Amino acid sequence: MTAQANRKARLKSTKGWFMRDWRLYVMLILPVMYYLIFCYKPMLGLMIAFQKYNMFKGMWGSKFIGLENFRFVMSMPDFPVALKNTLLLNFMGLIAGFPVPIVLAIMLNELRSIGFKKVSQTLLYLPHFLSWIIIGGMVLQIFSPTSGIINATLLKWGWIDKSIPFLTDGIHWQITYTLVGVWQNMGWGTILYLSAITGINMELFEAARIDGANKLQQIWHVTLPGIRSTIVVLLILNVGQMMNISFDRPFIMGNPMVQKYCDVLSTFVYRAGITNSQFARATAIGLFQSVVGLILISCANFFTKRLGEEGIW
Amino acid sequence: MKKTLAILLALALLIGLAPAVVAEGDWITLRVETYDREITGLDVTNCWQLHYAQEHFGDPNHIKLEFVSFARWTEGDLLTNALAGGTAPDICLTYNGGLVQQAIDDEGIWQLDDLLNEYGENLKAFLGDELLGYGQSDHDGDGVKEQWYIPARRISRANVGNFIREDWLKALNMEKPTTVEEFTEYLRQAKEANLGGETTVPFSFGIYAPDPLYNVRRFTDAFVDFSQVTEEDWFAYARNPEMLPGAKEGFRWLNTLYHEGLIPDTFALTDNDKANDTALIMGYNGFFSQQPDQPWRTDKNYQIELEKNVEGGHWVTVNCFYNESLGKYLHDIYAPAGLSIIIPLTTDEKTAVAAVQYMDWMAIPENMFAMQNGLEGINFEGFTENGIPYGVKSADAVPDENKMHAGDICFISNGLCYGDDEKNAAALALPFAGYEDDVVASYVDALTDAWTQVSFTVSVQAETDYGATVKSKQGEFLAAVVSCDADQFDTVFDSGIQEILQSGAAQMIEEFRATYQEGNYRGVFPGNL
Repeated sequence: MTAQANRKARLKSTKGWFMRDWRLYVMLILPVMYYLIFCYKPMLGLMIAFQKYNMFKGMWGSKFIGLENFRFVMSMPDFPVALKNTLLLNFMGLIAGFPVPIVLAIMLNELRSIGFKKVSQTLLYLPHFLSWIIIGGMVLQIFSPTSGIINATLLKWGWIDKSIPFLTDGIHWQITYTLVGVWQNMGWGTILYLSAITGINMELFEAARIDGANKLQQIWHVTLPGIRSTIVVLLILNVGQMMNISFDRPFIMGNPMVQKYCDVLSTFVYRAGITNSQFARATAIGLFQSVVGLILISCANFFTKRLGEEGIW
Repeated sequence: MKKTLAILLALALLIGLAPAVVAEGDWITLRVETYDREITGLDVTNCWQLHYAQEHFGDPNHIKLEFVSFARWTEGDLLTNALAGGTAPDICLTYNGGLVQQAIDDEGIWQLDDLLNEYGENLKAFLGDELLGYGQSDHDGDGVKEQWYIPARRISRANVGNFIREDWLKALNMEKPTTVEEFTEYLRQAKEANLGGETTVPFSFGIYAPDPLYNVRRFTDAFVDFSQVTEEDWFAYARNPEMLPGAKEGFRWLNTLYHEGLIPDTFALTDNDKANDTALIMGYNGFFSQQPDQPWRTDKNYQIELEKNVEGGHWVTVNCFYNESLGKYLHDIYAPAGLSIIIPLTTDEKTAVAAVQYMDWMAIPENMFAMQNGLEGINFEGFTENGIPYGVKSADAVPDENKMHAGDICFISNGLCYGDDEKNAAALALPFAGYEDDVVASYVDALTDAWTQVSFTVSVQAETDYGATVKSKQGEFLAAVVSCDADQFDTVFDSGIQEILQSGAAQMIEEFRATYQEGNYRGVFPGNL
């Protein structure tokens, strides 16, 4: 027998696999434990969504009440408002925010000067590392009526005679919210696309150039098709997140003037659940969000596969 | 025979001694919740008071004291988690009444009657029956109220501090306003004269998001027509001052101020506290309303900071929210009960006894004095003629081993207690050297025509279910009615009220009314003053 055949035979048995790659399996233990402990074990706690939860008796001692928590929460007048805002703000964020990193990544990729590219990248990543507390303070400084930088300047120059209600009028607020989000995330979002672009075979560009394609044609016919699968995967993941919205961003940027436009599921849960120690009700909404998120992501995956793309599973 | 007897005797002796021997080594640990206000250089879990209490209470009783630090501003959430996780300290403190009520309903805490009767003689004497009553409710429905928590004694109950700029009054040649009309006139003239410079906004006004109308009712209550309010209504609308007859005019008044530029146009933007503080100390404002000792507090000393920026800048108390239907300047005051002290059921009986013994020890005057004031010559300079310490030193002015945490460690007393009301009142002004008269005047105003805030002695389910939602709606309502166009005011106000009612206030009002009729309430109706 040749050495190669020997090796093949060994790999056929499970033991053989393990013997060869045991170091990798050992390394796998930590992430698996992470998922078990932090992602699967807490799912047990979902039980309390169906209970009249008594925090002293815990989830094993509390009374089962079926869907009562869901019924209560969904009958609150704020619930449909929060649901609508969550979807709307996420949708606006997706429409405005999704293409930006792609465009930006292509632009960065085309930069000739390495130094300039690095500096721009760093500056673009920077907002991602600022907490929303800080961004919230900046937003207030910049967009406040009368005293904010923009309004104060425009008023002084006489371009406007009334403050633009960036933060105090519903629609204005939603646009401000969306654009601030785009600004914060666009740089960070380019990372995946940049690495995908690096993965494109350089010969394709060469061939395109020889065929007489200009820069724009190269981008359109080589770069974009080259990163298409990355775009699709990220789009599916984003659609799956439509029902989820972070807590800090709407909570910090929102204010009572625009309550009807800034109240989203996370702030609603905080108010109706956490502040009153109504954990079971908060859990019920969380479960509802996850179920809808699962449905959305499954649909998105199904349709992309139908369109001939590779899905995420 | 002798031998047998000797052996028996020896055995008896041994048996008799055995528990004592075991007890020698049998120390218990008492974990006490301690508020941490994040004062630089002070470790609340290792402060002077801990060692003092350990030496004078712990060691003689074989109890090892342990202070567990809870951040003061998030204590409610932290304690909720600790209780739910079964890791709560043996003595828990909280200002979150809802949490205490839930702990009673869920039967997660010790019922304290027997413990107090047996081990809490001094504590009961210090608190008194009326105050202890705040911690009692009839949970099992047998018609007898049980003691579920220990309410701390609140030394100063004043809550309202309204302040105006004396130097502005002088500049305008005006007397202190005594009615809302005079006050409005003051604001207008101050704005017109630009007394605070270009950025003058005479009335410092913002929304307190956790409870938006809690402070605003100080102004709107002046407009309420008490001839149309019964005592029952007062309690039914306890959380909805915007619905009292006449209050609408108060909100209309705020709307007028907004359109005249007398209150900041940023009033509704959250996170504005810093900007408001800056405006106050830079001298842009001519009026603000907070706590009665606010201008002189060490953490935000508006008075001293203002003097640095504006020569002669001077905050003085003002009484101008005159209610005509009553002929009174209404001021709400706190209930005599301060924070709530509970012992969770995760604490065993022996430790629960130790917990009550600790509080009982604390209630003895000399112990309380030490726990609140420290040592003469180290933590304070000496005594005034009426026996109150003066020259209290800040934490960084005392040696490390004597650093103490003044307010919160002696938790059975909310505020410094020197025995009688007169001394306690005199002591309030003492820390604010140079401004004693201003402070005293402010407290006098705050206690004028004072009505005790409303509370209920049983859990009101509708408030648990809808309370937070209603408050959020009230914030939205306040922002809308104050900033809407004047000709839209009536529409906005009426639809806002409807929305608050629909978001759960209707159920709350109904249940409060029923609770009142059952007699399960505390507080004062201003009509009875």
